[in-house]
Amino acid sequence: MEPPFLTAPERLWWLILLPVLYWLALPPRPRRETLTAHLPQWLAAAARLRRRPPRFRRWRFLLLVLAVVGAVLAATGPSLPGTVGPSRLCVVVDSSASMAHRVGDRTAADAAIAALRTGLMNVPPHVEIVVVIAGGGVARRHGAAARAFADPLQPAGAAVDLAAVVAAAGSEPDTAVWTITDGQSPPLPEASALTLCGASGDNAAIAAVEVVDAWPLPELRLRVQLQSRSRAPWRGQLQAQGAIDAAGPFAVVLQPEERQVAELPLRRTAAGGALTLELQMPGDVLPLDDRVVLALPPLPLPTIAVLGDRTSPIVRTAVAVLADEVGGKVIEGDELSRAGFLFVEGGVAELPPGATRAIAFGCRSPAAPLPEVWPSPTIVDWDRQSPWTAGLDLSELEVAHALHGILPAGEPLLWGGGPGGERVPLLVAVPGERRALHFAFRLQDSNLALLPAFPQLLRRAFLGSFGAAHRIPAPQLPVPGTESDLRALPAVGRPLPAFGSPARDLGAYCLLAALLALAIRAYVR
Amino acid sequence: MKVWPRPPEEPFPPPFQAMLTAILARAARVQGGRTEVARARQRALSQSGTFVGHRAYAPGDDLRRLDWHAFARTGQLFLKLLEEEERRQTTLLLDTSASMLAGEPARWTGTLRLAAILGGLALRHLDGVRVVAGGTDVAFAGSAGLSPMLQHLRVLAPRPFDPVAAAQSVVARGAPGRIAWLSDFADPAAVERALAVLRRCSARVVGWQPMIAEDLDVPLRGWLRLVDPETGVAESIAVDAELAAAMREELVRLRRRQDRAFVSFGYPLQRFPLPAATDFGLASWLEAAWSRRS
Repeated sequence: MEPPFLTAPERLWWLILLPVLYWLALPPRPRRETLTAHLPQWLAAAARLRRRPPRFRRWRFLLLVLAVVGAVLAATGPSLPGTVGPSRLCVVVDSSASMAHRVGDRTAADAAIAALRTGLMNVPPHVEIVVVIAGGGVARRHGAAARAFADPLQPAGAAVDLAAVVAAAGSEPDTAVWTITDGQSPPLPEASALTLCGASGDNAAIAAVEVVDAWPLPELRLRVQLQSRSRAPWRGQLQAQGAIDAAGPFAVVLQPEERQVAELPLRRTAAGGALTLELQMPGDVLPLDDRVVLALPPLPLPTIAVLGDRTSPIVRTAVAVLADEVGGKVIEGDELSRAGFLFVEGGVAELPPGATRAIAFGCRSPAAPLPEVWPSPTIVDWDRQSPWTAGLDLSELEVAHALHGILPAGEPLLWGGGPGGERVPLLVAVPGERRALHFAFRLQDSNLALLPAFPQLLRRAFLGSFGAAHRIPAPQLPVPGTESDLRALPAVGRPLPAFGSPARDLGAYCLLAALLALAIRAYVR
Repeated sequence: MKVWPRPPEEPFPPPFQAMLTAILARAARVQGGRTEVARARQRALSQSGTFVGHRAYAPGDDLRRLDWHAFARTGQLFLKLLEEEERRQTTLLLDTSASMLAGEPARWTGTLRLAAILGGLALRHLDGVRVVAGGTDVAFAGSAGLSPMLQHLRVLAPRPFDPVAAAQSVVARGAPGRIAWLSDFADPAAVERALAVLRRCSARVVGWQPMIAEDLDVPLRGWLRLVDPETGVAESIAVDAELAAAMREELVRLRRRQDRAFVSFGYPLQRFPLPAATDFGLASWLEAAWSRRS
């Protein structure tokens, strides 16, 4: 142990006051000396009056000296030198998805938090602590929040490069780094204390899910890729539950180190909802990657209403074909309010943009002026990139006559040549939550119904009117594939280094001793 | 321990010697002075000789001198008093301790002058005087012994004085006769032990205490350093009226203890206020001569 040192030793000069204090502590000398034969009587008389002869009070002087020395020492800033060592601790806690695997009756994440709590209790109070939660992203806790960290870990995402995180944390001066991980994300950092809280084991995971959707039909087919991280063939089952008709479970046999595909034919319910896909394998240590949830939107309302000229055979045929294609039916009369899709052929109808799913041919709005007839418009081009018309051949489209100024604002998809050679839209797509296609001519005034592209155009009009709401979002896999292999053997941990301690100020103790000496001196006579 | 010198003043200056001569000359003319010799002879009692009477027993008396016949008759203890014709002398037992140097004038000088008067009267009326002081024991006889006695007293110096040892020294050399013990009696306990030794030998003792001003009152005031010359102990004391009053009570208590010590052995204690250092008036010192006769 190194001896204490003084921060301001020059203040020791104040100790030269001690001789002055000694001189002041001496009792005054009598100016006269008298011989007496009655000294015992003098002393008895003084004792009777409780008087004490003034004399040099050794103890009072010593206590005064102690108080002065204590005060002077306190002013000089005495300190005990600290010990060399890190004064900052950065704890890197692995919170990748693999930390969710089971170790006995708890998860590796729970074991990591327990190890963190136990370790932080042994860290000296003066050490600054930073907790870095590294999983998927990086989160930090500083100060008291870090020292009292007890939140449960939420393992998720891919493993962070712990070696890089540790290297970055250790680059700061006087910093010790402590890594808590399950050891399943090599390479492990080599320049830090290390606590391993995981265990090796077999794991099977849903590696990918591909959805083959027959929407608007209820049929649904899932292509599930399964990955085995075991050393032997593994039997289990795949269970699908939720917004589907009863199906399964589907038995699977996984081969070591192989990715297998299981196809699940399912049938959706009309209301839609969550579809849970769960891989059930006995002895699987990581359940987090065995479960995938898909959100199934509701099926569309398959009712089609015809407005305008219902008598046209072409129209009736086209509507019947569309109903057959999407699994719907044609309604009329009082049931129009329940229509999910409108087929409009000529006439006047109010079709608010963004509020109506429809395909309209030569229909004008009641608020629009009377249209001007455009005889024999020439088809000059169509949009070949738009999802409405991509891949369709409209080159043979012929229109007997069209109407000027009846198309609402929207995305032009088909153009005809105007009198001055300009391009005039003959077909626009009205965007919005509910989409619609508007043609500037009636169906019966063109040969569109006779083109091979017409059925596909009808189907696209129906499906496109629902926008993207009908699409099944790609499922999020909770565990990246890199986290599913839990067969790495645990490595050997490394203990925390000895922390340094700051210099300890002894001034308060010196001052306390001085005050104590003065307090005692008040009672010493 | 510090050795204190004698006081610088001459104890027996010519005025004192003149006064002493006058006192000795008057000794024969005072009332009853003629019979002083006879009475002195009768008082020279000893353990053997002619029976002259009884006196009551006092603690410390020699049990061999109890009169058992008188006890059988009266039921009380009496001692037989015997007269020894040959022994007629006075012993001057002088306290030479350093405490005698206290006082202004010093008690030491006054004690020597009082001893000179008492010794001179003894030489005038009796056959001899023994001066026991400062480890010396010197005998003087007749009127011619006055000058040698004064010279002997003049050269005495302060020395440690143990009353008990001095008493034992006095009785060791045989019949001391009448003992005049001149002292400040500062330690009554030691005085009692010494008187017990003398009483055991049936010595007749008269205590003489030359009184200085400090024995009766407290004239000192202020911030003083009081030194006990006998022990060398010094104390600094602030003397005010309150402490002076307490000191007076202590002095009264001391005098009572001194009186009790002498009374318990049946011995008288004469307190003689010393005159001033230059006061050699006959009236001032004649009191000592009269007191000696009582």
